[in-house]
Amino acid sequence: MGSLRIRTASNLASLAYIKNISNLRKIMSEPPVLEGSTKKQRYESLVAALYQDVFRYAFWICKSKPMAEDLVQETFLRAWRSLESLQNDKAAKAWLFTILRRENARQYERYRPELVDIDGQSIAERDDNEPDSKMDRELLHNAINRLESEYREPLLLQVVGGFSGKEIAEILELNNNTVMTRLFRARSKLKLEFGLETETDE
Amino acid sequence: MDELEFRKRVYANPRNLEIEVVDAARANPEYQKILDDTLGFEDSLGSLLESPEMPEGILERILSIPAGEKIHEAAASSNVSPIRAKKESFFQYYAIAASLILAVGIVFSLSSNPGPSSADIVFGDELLAHLHHDIEEIDHITGGETYAVLDLAEVNSSMANAGTRLVSYEESQNFEVRSAKPCEILPAYESAHLVLQGSQGAISVIVINNSPVDVEFSIRDDRFEGIVLPMEQGNMILVGEKNEDLSQYASLFSENVEWAI
Repeated sequence: MGSLRIRTASNLASLAYIKNISNLRKIMSEPPVLEGSTKKQRYESLVAALYQDVFRYAFWICKSKPMAEDLVQETFLRAWRSLESLQNDKAAKAWLFTILRRENARQYERYRPELVDIDGQSIAERDDNEPDSKMDRELLHNAINRLESEYREPLLLQVVGGFSGKEIAEILELNNNTVMTRLFRARSKLKLEFGLETETDE
Repeated sequence: MDELEFRKRVYANPRNLEIEVVDAARANPEYQKILDDTLGFEDSLGSLLESPEMPEGILERILSIPAGEKIHEAAASSNVSPIRAKKESFFQYYAIAASLILAVGIVFSLSSNPGPSSADIVFGDELLAHLHHDIEEIDHITGGETYAVLDLAEVNSSMANAGTRLVSYEESQNFEVRSAKPCEILPAYESAHLVLQGSQGAISVIVINNSPVDVEFSIRDDRFEGIVLPMEQGNMILVGEKNEDLSQYASLFSENVEWAI
């Protein structure tokens, strides 16, 4: 299958189109191809393809919706300023996530108070009305936030970012075996909290 | 495959299992249950992690960043030096050329070997940002302002900050170092920044003792072009104004820089 080509919008009137394309690309799990002859068009196609993934990742590493939005805007500002350095479109997502991680480390990590959305206000409710569903999601939400960052980060990159083990290793500057071990431990810890796992020596 | 090994492989990547893991599950009902439970749990995990609602208007705000930057650049350009202002008209031609190069580059990069990693690309961005932070001195040297040529001891005094030194200045008389100072580009990594006089203006030579990048790669922005060279115990970066021939400086420096053990 060839790469999905994303037409760019020249103004905000095309927002609905961008949103639709963004969702379509997500479903098809294809890397973006940044179409357009101008820097602005390239930027718009980059935003359309990846802003939702970038926001979700920011939300989970910041644990705060307003901070996540600031972080996303700062990330795309830096991306705009450095767009010429992105020479391989296939690396666009990893590039943005790496900018975001660095920006988070730079701006927030040292100064951020521990913020946890315990009530899950930023999390969309599911359509199902099962009585235990909301409680379970809140428990899982808190369990994820309690994970040490060395386990949470690769898990977020895999589930939210859709990266392979090798790509995660590259982003986190770790070797592949370490990433796999951390992913194993991340899920073990989460399942342990839900009584779905017994303690292991590993 | 024992149970711990099975769990390790399933938990590490439940959505992309190796065939032998799937076969092991089929052959053992206990393993199959572990797999089914994990996939059920993964559904909940994926659903939750993908559920944060997008803030209202966030797409509009992200898309408006280039317009905001133009206003910022216009405000900044009213304060630029005459040398910089003189160059502005040339940037239009550079922009056209850069667009063509970019278009060719995109097509080429998709069919060629993998380039620098995302971490290395971001490192390149940090380097360019650092140059713009130190732009005043670079502007002065590019503008032809006279700076004294530093001797080897002065240069090495700064380079020692990054754990390096120039072993022979004499062999490198084709360049004159106008400025040398320690700098901070990445937290926790020591670095030094030399500025030379090149044919197109200032040339920055930066040495930093972080992990060597995977492959040599180029960096560029609206004004500068450069290369990042992996070295024995760190990286060397050369950045000049557009059209500066950096290759001679790259070989001169890489042959004359020694890293401390």
